[in-house]
Amino acid sequence: MKISARQYAESLYQAAQGHSKIELSGILKKFAFIIGHNRDQAKLGEIIRIFQTIWSKEEGEIFALLQSARPLERSSSQYLVEYLKEKTAAKKISLLEKIDQSLIGGFILKYNNRIIDGSVASSLDALKNKISN
Amino acid sequence: MSTTKDFIVEQLKKEIADFKTETSEKSIGQVLKVSDGIALISGLDEAMMSEILMFKTDRGEVAGVALNLEENQVGAIILGDYTAIKEGDEVLATKRILEVPVGEEMIGRVVNPLGEPLDGKGKIASSKFYPVEKIAPGVITRASVKEPVQTGIKAIDAMIPIGRGQRELIIGDRQLGKTAIAIDTIINQKGQNMKCIYVAIGQKESKVANIVAKLTEAGAMEYTTIVLAGASTSASLLYIAPYAGCAMAEYFLDKGEDVLIIYDDLSKHAVSYREISLLLRRPPGREAYPGDVFYLHSRLLERACKLNKDYGGGSITALPIIETQAGDLSAYIPTNVISITDGQIFLEPDLFYKGNRPAVNAGLSVSRVGSAAQIKAMKKVAGQMRLEAAQYRELASFAQFGSDLDEDTKKKLERGKRLYEIFKQDQYQPLSAAKQVLIYYTLINGLMDDVPVEQVHNFEVGLYKQADANQEVIKLIAEKKELSAEIEAKVKQLISDYKISLDYLLK
Repeated sequence: MKISARQYAESLYQAAQGHSKIELSGILKKFAFIIGHNRDQAKLGEIIRIFQTIWSKEEGEIFALLQSARPLERSSSQYLVEYLKEKTAAKKISLLEKIDQSLIGGFILKYNNRIIDGSVASSLDALKNKISN
Repeated sequence: MSTTKDFIVEQLKKEIADFKTETSEKSIGQVLKVSDGIALISGLDEAMMSEILMFKTDRGEVAGVALNLEENQVGAIILGDYTAIKEGDEVLATKRILEVPVGEEMIGRVVNPLGEPLDGKGKIASSKFYPVEKIAPGVITRASVKEPVQTGIKAIDAMIPIGRGQRELIIGDRQLGKTAIAIDTIINQKGQNMKCIYVAIGQKESKVANIVAKLTEAGAMEYTTIVLAGASTSASLLYIAPYAGCAMAEYFLDKGEDVLIIYDDLSKHAVSYREISLLLRRPPGREAYPGDVFYLHSRLLERACKLNKDYGGGSITALPIIETQAGDLSAYIPTNVISITDGQIFLEPDLFYKGNRPAVNAGLSVSRVGSAAQIKAMKKVAGQMRLEAAQYRELASFAQFGSDLDEDTKKKLERGKRLYEIFKQDQYQPLSAAKQVLIYYTLINGLMDDVPVEQVHNFEVGLYKQADANQEVIKLIAEKKELSAEIEAKVKQLISDYKISLDYLLK
């Protein structure tokens, strides 16, 4: 039977749980051996990607992307981090900030397959749609 | 002048000042794979079944519809230009189920399955939207079918009557006049209080252009909408087309009006659904159709209904069309749709090439509810006529072997020949119910036995002319809708008056 990249990643996460670093290297060796044995090396990139999402989901870590037209003040981005923590009950928020002039103003926050769009550009778009209809 | 200008500027300013956007959280995903009008998307945790998805591409937004909700991905059909979509593009869930614009504005227009105009007559300003997929009305809301849909085709109105709210399948090989029956029916709905919707699924655009021209010429576009998903349209739009047409019909149904909807044709619809299903990797079944191809058509045709008075009393009459391959009625899709509908009109190549057009096979065609919907006068003549037709069919096969026939049999054969002559009818010439009653009355009462078979057509045309000149009889039948002794006498008088003027009668 073929084992999917997701199944590999899930089993790796379960095997790695609650072990010390030294134990882990043994587990990883075995894992690499199984992959080689099954000739699934091509799936490794996918496995690593999925493993990261599983890890961050299980450990309560969220990667968020914050886009704004100008650099936000420390307090406002901190506020957004707090908001996300409260909303998602995540333990850790890794916020990546990006400057995108085309937003004109406001911000876009992306996390966990979700988007909060508070940019001036999209408001203007909505206004345009409303007037042209 | 300036006051109106100021007024407009003020209004505009107010509009803009009052405009508020809401910042809400939305579900997003990324395109994993695009192919042949299908996209696989990761993310979109909260996507709903048949929710509209917006693909953000470099060439603007493209709409799609979620069809497969799986654990880690969403399968969607793409409604716009799928070549614009790239792997990794962002996809936004809109929290709106797929819907089409509906309303009076759609009448007289040619639109695509998304309700966008295709006829170049400008934008359609419709403010109402109906969901494309809707559960059919339940038992409580329905009434039995009792009013007729006059197709204007003699063979159908008398033998295979269709009622308002019925689903009658038109089935036959290619090029036998299936669409012609449907178009004639639309033309005949003029002044009958009926809205018509013609859904072209996978038809050649040239054919549809012809139909539009013909309907316009006949003045039928005043109450008709054409939903066009042409042969070059992607499978996703073909798949949506009949549901979109039905949604437009449901608007009028909810207003208590009667609607006639034609799905031309459902075999192509099934094929496009098969394409989508296979691309979405759903397991194939018989003839490679997916397991739910029956539900595909049953949920569509179940939406045809007659509502009772408490629910507005409207109706949707559906005339689905199925194209068979070499007359094979036992293929998968034909058997499915035959079992769903309330009867079928079966067109036969043999009859067609013999010159019996419309080539309706009277033996295999049935209508399971229609006779309750005939007007009384028609019921009276049609019952007797059906008997004559059946006897003729039986005797005709016998009579081929021997020439030694008794008087009674010969008479029946002769009358049958004339009956089949009456069934012949040219395209685009629907006939009113009253005139149909008149001609059938003439036949079953033996008033046509002395007309030579080759003269039947001329006799018929002349009789209608006579009836038009003497409006009274036609008017009486049309208004009273029955053949009382008094009207019968008048009909007889009309026929005998007419026959005096003829010189070709047999002695």
